[in-house]
Amino acid sequence: MKFGREAVNQSESDDTREEVREMAEALSLYRSAMHHLAEREAARPFAAEPRPARTLRLRLILAPALTAAVAAGVLVPVYSHFHHRPTTVTDARNAQPGPADVRANVDDTVLMNQIDSELSEDVPDALRPLADPSDPGTNSSSVLEKKDVAKE
Amino acid sequence: MEEIAGNELAIEKREQAMLELADFDEVVRVYRPRILRFLLSSLTDRDAAEALTQECFMKAWSARHQFRGDSSLSTWLTRIAVNLMRDHLRSRSLRFWQKTRGAALDVMDISDWIPDGRSSPESITVARDRVAAVWSAVKELSAHQRTVFVLRFVEEMELEEIASTIGMNLSTVKSHLYRALAVIRERMGEEK
Repeated sequence: MKFGREAVNQSESDDTREEVREMAEALSLYRSAMHHLAEREAARPFAAEPRPARTLRLRLILAPALTAAVAAGVLVPVYSHFHHRPTTVTDARNAQPGPADVRANVDDTVLMNQIDSELSEDVPDALRPLADPSDPGTNSSSVLEKKDVAKE
Repeated sequence: MEEIAGNELAIEKREQAMLELADFDEVVRVYRPRILRFLLSSLTDRDAAEALTQECFMKAWSARHQFRGDSSLSTWLTRIAVNLMRDHLRSRSLRFWQKTRGAALDVMDISDWIPDGRSSPESITVARDRVAAVWSAVKELSAHQRTVFVLRFVEEMELEEIASTIGMNLSTVKSHLYRALAVIRERMGEEK
């Protein structure tokens, strides 16, 4: 039989031993449970795809940029559509011609001048062939013959 | 004489590991459950554990020519898994605004588990309660403590092997394990 301090030590030792035994048992149960869980999960078909961290990081950077680009692509045309000022007659009059308009005007001017010059051309001179040989008034030989007849 | 015998044994082990790695399908078949179990126990996240297990074997396949057989194939694969898990935890802490726990495991997931040698409902309930206590305590551990704890008490690795796998001193491994057990012991005491 044990007394005093020796009995207390014995009791503490028993408690510690019991605690260690419980702890060891709990750890063993935990191991068994984790093995069971892993076996079950290994048998289950896997659906999720692996995602490399680098791709994820890249996606995080690109996603806001892409969203901003799409937003700009949609908002800018909508904004310009609703804030577009309709062109009035006054505006059209006051509008300065652009380079393409100037070129068209130059071409038109040249054409108009050409037509004008052809229409207002002077009577052909003597050296120029007659436009209508059948016209007797314009035949130079018959005029000369008429002059000769008058002299006679 | 002993030294020569030791060298021969090491060479034989190395050759065996190299030969084992040659049939990669077999490597995956044999070691996948173990790697998945380690990651599942450490992360308690189904999707992450599955994804990292796949990545582990992909990395092992692409780096198979670098394997010199200095450690066992199991240790080499576990080392790759530990590094992947470290990267995963680091990136998860950066992605704090994202959903981080896709398919988190819960202690209720072991409701269909029946411990060996127990048939009465009372003893099964007691066993599950003890597992739940350890489970919640493990979740409170730091990443290093949890890794060391899982490698020791789930994978049943020797301390020297753990030190070699995670690249720590033996004394550091012992220190992490001591602290981990202290936390678990404390939590189990509170549960009573």
